[in-house]
Amino acid sequence: MPRNGAPLRARLARSVAAGVQTCLALTAVLAYAEPASAQVDFSGQWAPVYHEDNPERIPGPELADYTGLPINDAARLQADSWDADRISVVSSYQCRPHSSDYGMRGLGNLRVWAELDDKQQLVAFHTYMPAWGSERTIWMDGRAHPADYAEHTFQGFSTGVWEGNMLTITTTHLKTNYYRRNGVPSSDRRTVVEHWTRHAEFLTVVTVVTDPVFLTEPLVRSQNWFNDVGQALPAFTCEYAPEVPGAQEVPNHLPGTNPYLTEFADWYGLELAATRGGAETMYPEYQLKMGAPHAKPPDRCKRYCTCGGGFNCDVNPPRPPAR
Amino acid sequence: MSARIRLTIGALCLTGVASLLAQGPPGPPGPPRSPRESAPADFTGYWVSVIAEDWRWRMVTPLKGDSSSIPVTPESRKVLEAWDPAKDEAAGLQCKGYGAAGLMRLPGRVHITWQDDTTLKLETDTGTQTRLLHFGGTPPATEKPSWQGYSVANWERPPATPGAPPTLPIFATRIGTRGRALEVTTTHLRPAYLRKNGVPYGDKVSLTEYFDYHKEPNGDEWFTVTTIVRDPQYLIGPFITSSDFKKEPDASKWRPTPCAAR
Repeated sequence: MPRNGAPLRARLARSVAAGVQTCLALTAVLAYAEPASAQVDFSGQWAPVYHEDNPERIPGPELADYTGLPINDAARLQADSWDADRISVVSSYQCRPHSSDYGMRGLGNLRVWAELDDKQQLVAFHTYMPAWGSERTIWMDGRAHPADYAEHTFQGFSTGVWEGNMLTITTTHLKTNYYRRNGVPSSDRRTVVEHWTRHAEFLTVVTVVTDPVFLTEPLVRSQNWFNDVGQALPAFTCEYAPEVPGAQEVPNHLPGTNPYLTEFADWYGLELAATRGGAETMYPEYQLKMGAPHAKPPDRCKRYCTCGGGFNCDVNPPRPPAR
Repeated sequence: MSARIRLTIGALCLTGVASLLAQGPPGPPGPPRSPRESAPADFTGYWVSVIAEDWRWRMVTPLKGDSSSIPVTPESRKVLEAWDPAKDEAAGLQCKGYGAAGLMRLPGRVHITWQDDTTLKLETDTGTQTRLLHFGGTPPATEKPSWQGYSVANWERPPATPGAPPTLPIFATRIGTRGRALEVTTTHLRPAYLRKNGVPYGDKVSLTEYFDYHKEPNGDEWFTVTTIVRDPQYLIGPFITSSDFKKEPDASKWRPTPCAAR
């Protein structure tokens, strides 16, 4: 039983004050530790998921398959002239890297790491994909993009901002490259916006490409990876070698001379006009306008029918047993 | 006694701060807000699927035997080889290509509205299907399998390691407190097709979806839905796709059509 109320009240007041002080100190520590805005840490090893367009991304696209691309006639003309021998004959094509936007769709193993300043604030994310040793910096410190005349590179110049848990990245200063590895070109005037989201162990990246030279509307696609803590990525080397000694020309098809432009439609039983791409063909109502297949469709799939999650993608898979 | 008081205040402080951090930014005072009122993004309206991916597997019914891109089991391949749309039509199963696990990959338009404060309604014009996304709760015990199953929805919580024990946030804090995604888990699905050419999923299938809203520099509004299908019978692992939908100004292009097996 307290005998002296006044000293007890004083002690109680001192204790409360000390407790509040501790709380304030703790709050100060937390306030210092808290980042400037809500974020998600995308750092880590990401393994690609090839559950969309697998035959295009793994073995490679069929010639003259422009489906799903909002391209214009200029892009079509350039793609029709493509001859894959160019990669063997023209040395500058041999080690030509994927641009950062194609890399995100062509897809590959990905490593992401964060660069922090001495206050533990995020300055940049860096990405590495083994194909052609592509490394990219995504600046998160609010810096501006360089002037239009600044150097263009395969990875471009990227800056990111947070939109809630979504990381939105804008990339400019890209070199010309391709939307598809069968010659569909992308221009050095394109701008790429990406939206990164992380859900559980999955990473989804939406890419939105605006290209005033070759696209009539933005090309919007989305890609997926899963977090793979055991993944280790190798370095990449590529050596230039003259595979066709003495070759003097760039392999190509002059307008109207490419004999392979109908193969894709014929193999898969498609309308030829649809295979030529264009924004109109990407909307559901095109199903109502679609004409007859260019040739009688095969009775069953005969080519790239079983491309699964990895590299088990036979061009001519085993046929089912005859009945 | 004073040490006990300091300890008690310190503990209360820690609990309070931890609780605040676990909850994210404080909401306005008053009664709890309904899922509709607390929506971090507006998914209502008419949206069109723009087919820039998997064109030849979506815009036309793929050729028989084509399971490319899907991690199917050998058993799935056998079922795929037996696909016969005429049989489906005769059996009244034309909607097998329109089940929830394949529906969002089909070309078409979706119309999303709030049916009430806790239920989002997602309708498709292709196949004239309706999905109800129920916030909170679990599927009723009496729920019967259906093409669209039973969907439980929530606004995605901040990222955290699943199953991790609670920690004291002394030198770290939780990040990612402003998620805007809609997370949907669907079960009670009737066996159907991942693709219209008969790539099957079975009655043990489960579906997890994440809807993310994004607005582009040209003003276009989109949502992307990441779809994860798990089926121990017909898939060797999760089947993961993401589909992109652009917002439309009105219903002028909304064109309901019945299911078609071919």
